Amino acid sequence: MRDLIVAGTDSIPAVKADWASGLLEMTGDSYPENAFELYQPVIDWIEAYLAADQRPLNLRLTLLYLNTSSIRALIDILDLLETAHQGGRAVAVVWLYEPDNEGVAALAEEFREDYTFPFEVVAQDR
Amino acid sequence: MKRIDVQSLRDVFIEQQILLCFNGPFSATLIEEIGHALRLHLESLQAPRPAVGDVFSAYIELTQNIRHYTTRKGLTCADAQATLVVSHGTEGGYVVSAGNVVELADGEGLAGRIDALNLLDAAALKAAYKTQLRQPRDPDAKTGAGLGLIDLARKAREPLKYTLVPLDAGRAFFSLHVAI
Repeated sequence: MRDLIVAGTDSIPAVKADWASGLLEMTGDSYPENAFELYQPVIDWIEAYLAADQRPLNLRLTLLYLNTSSIRALIDILDLLETAHQGGRAVAVVWLYEPDNEGVAALAEEFREDYTFPFEVVAQDR
Repeated sequence: MKRIDVQSLRDVFIEQQILLCFNGPFSATLIEEIGHALRLHLESLQAPRPAVGDVFSAYIELTQNIRHYTTRKGLTCADAQATLVVSHGTEGGYVVSAGNVVELADGEGLAGRIDALNLLDAAALKAAYKTQLRQPRDPDAKTGAGLGLIDLARKAREPLKYTLVPLDAGRAFFSLHVAI
């Protein structure tokens, strides 16, 4: 499987999935009309990575505003991680937000409370 | 040449404290462009960051909902248009309003859902939101699958308001007002 790179725009986040290191990064706003067009390749990549061997998977999210269509897609992604975690796989999410953007922190916390794998919500200066 | 009555439009804008208004068919690109302008405009007015975020969010959900609806129903011409208004609200707040032509039965269904959401407190809205998030997703669905209205109700500082005005041929004009 190859790395997955999506260039971000105003309405879609930049995606960088590195197969060798097992690190998937998503950065920016996410409000495309059809979020699954964007997120399906990400879901496919994660499924392939988790199926390939037993190496850890880390998500590093610096997402800002998400429309509800993106939120629904992200739930599918985090559910994949939860299933892997329940099966004993090492998975973790770090969600970075700017300290003055409490709305993002609240959004990330709402995601976090539904999962049992390591999920950190971290304030980070620009 | 027809002469547009700019001054009376201006009077309406001032009287209703309108910051931004659009009427016409929305494309995905236009939603982005206007959204970008809306953010910059609110920032230039020194609006607090959470308010900018919530106004933008209400704007995106409302306009994308209308886009999904008009596309799904195959509406054309004037029926495919949407009207969007962002205005000043009470106590330094903002109101995002959007309206479009719907089938009367759809408008009544929407009104019923909003009435039901307006009975819920913050905790019950959060529970409804989480329940909706966990609904199985239709693989062909492009939308947030019913999350949008609940999200709007959670972000709003007052109960959601709507108007449903019947038109001819089983149609109606539906508008929704979200106070941020």
